[in-house]
Amino acid sequence: MHNRLRNAQANLPRRDWLRRIGASAAGLVLADSLNPYSLPAQEPSAGKPLPDFTGPGPNPHWNSVGAIVTEPEKAPLLLLTDRPVQLETPRHYFLSAFTPNEAFYVRWHLDRIPNAVDLKSWRLRVEGNVSTPLSLSLPQLMNKFPAESVAAVNQCSGNSRSRFQPRLPGAQWGNGAMGNALWTGARLLDVLAAAGIKSGSVQVQVQGLDSGEGPEGYGSRQFQKSLDLDNPALRDCLIAYAMNGEPLPMLNGFPVRLVVPGYFATYWMKGLSLIRVLDKPDENFWMKTAYRIPDTPRGSTTQQEISAGTVKTVPINRMPVRSFLISPDGNGKIPAGMTVNLKGIAFSGYARVSRIEISIDNLQPWRPAQLGEDHGPYSFRTWQFSWKTSTPGRHTVAVRATDEKGNTQLDEAVWNAGGYLWNRIERQEFTVGTAE
Amino acid sequence: MNTFKIRLILAVLLPVACAAAVGARMEELRSGSYAPNSLGLITQAGAPALAENSSYEVASYPAFALQLADGPGRAETQIQCGSCHTPRYITMQPPLPAATWDAEVRKMIKTYGAQVSDADAQKIIRYLQANYTPETRR
Repeated sequence: MHNRLRNAQANLPRRDWLRRIGASAAGLVLADSLNPYSLPAQEPSAGKPLPDFTGPGPNPHWNSVGAIVTEPEKAPLLLLTDRPVQLETPRHYFLSAFTPNEAFYVRWHLDRIPNAVDLKSWRLRVEGNVSTPLSLSLPQLMNKFPAESVAAVNQCSGNSRSRFQPRLPGAQWGNGAMGNALWTGARLLDVLAAAGIKSGSVQVQVQGLDSGEGPEGYGSRQFQKSLDLDNPALRDCLIAYAMNGEPLPMLNGFPVRLVVPGYFATYWMKGLSLIRVLDKPDENFWMKTAYRIPDTPRGSTTQQEISAGTVKTVPINRMPVRSFLISPDGNGKIPAGMTVNLKGIAFSGYARVSRIEISIDNLQPWRPAQLGEDHGPYSFRTWQFSWKTSTPGRHTVAVRATDEKGNTQLDEAVWNAGGYLWNRIERQEFTVGTAE
Repeated sequence: MNTFKIRLILAVLLPVACAAAVGARMEELRSGSYAPNSLGLITQAGAPALAENSSYEVASYPAFALQLADGPGRAETQIQCGSCHTPRYITMQPPLPAATWDAEVRKMIKTYGAQVSDADAQKIIRYLQANYTPETRR
């Protein structure tokens, strides 16, 4: 009886030759096609570790292939780097609209991350081109300014970087460098008003408690980001001291961080400790050189255009519309004839998600999914779709989202030198087996 | 059909039917299979002791040991690169072209101010090119 099972598996195509190139079994075969997330190899592979890297083709897995680790105040998450800490959220946590604090992904640039903060001496300083420099304790921040809350997605600029072709150096995120939380804090503009912005001011710069080993004046010493004072996004910004109704984990920026709804996470300064009002644009490395995107409709360009020096760049800003299928994840076989409830999330940094659509096996037209509760324009929106399976075989589910401004996902790759802005339509392959 | 034939047929068919019945049940079901596997085994860490004061602390962040590929230049890479960050920044990359590794090391020195001698920079670049490109990555 065991032989019968093993013989059935042996009749399927051998994929050993792909392993030598370090790609997972189905991944490389699918890499040049519509690239749905790969299924496990046909040989009994449960119990075999994933490789510690993917490529040079695109990462065929939904998440990165890093090991599972636990860190202070965190559930087991996927390890990218341990110093400084970078952790990715496993796929299944995105079944709920709000990502638990202990599952929230982590990304630091510099290795001197706080292990301890003494709130007796911690102050949020507001300095620079202001009438009244401030030095606020946490109680002052919580009590002197009205508290506001916003549900907002925080996504790393490089989320899904491992999809790029050709591949780029950097943090090799799968899709899990994102999370949604209810953020509570003081409005940035209220705090700036209390300090009194003097005329001639152009930007507000933010800096956190972390620092690095690099020389003074280098990006490897200090991480700083700035926003234009006339940017409408400032109206939504919070200095957040609560995340999902709880203190921020140390790894997500305790005691307070900046929240910039709709914008990529690079601006969401963790361990926010210094706000500096500038009368000249910020020229520090992290604004001038890093985190810049081509000034094109999708932020795409080519290596040739970069080499020719014809690419104009702007600082990265709002997050393009994205949607994901979270469950089922393709690792389980579905008996033919069963109706399966597909579940996922979607979001956009530009406007509320208004439509989510599914295509099974690339059939047209796309069919609408059912939207979940609306937590606000910057939040994850859950969705579900009933899929009645019928024919045994491999089937692909594709999902795409559209926001109220009409931005929609395309079935096209993105490419830029930073590995930013990936938002191609997501696909998942399933195996439907016979049921009799 | 006489009794003898009936008994003969039953004597032949019954065991076959039983075997088939048993065999069919065994073909539908595999169970009781265990195999040694240390994958996915994570030891839980104890909860921290919390004091009722103003200090908010977490334990040291874990540093997970990592072996870079064997070869000349590994020590320089481990020491120089390791002064700022884990060598996982290298090992998590996809296999990258030799020119990309050259550019990355130059960026560490020029843009990030890594204090690396020209000699060590050469050794590190050669090491990465010898072990972490599409042609050489294991």
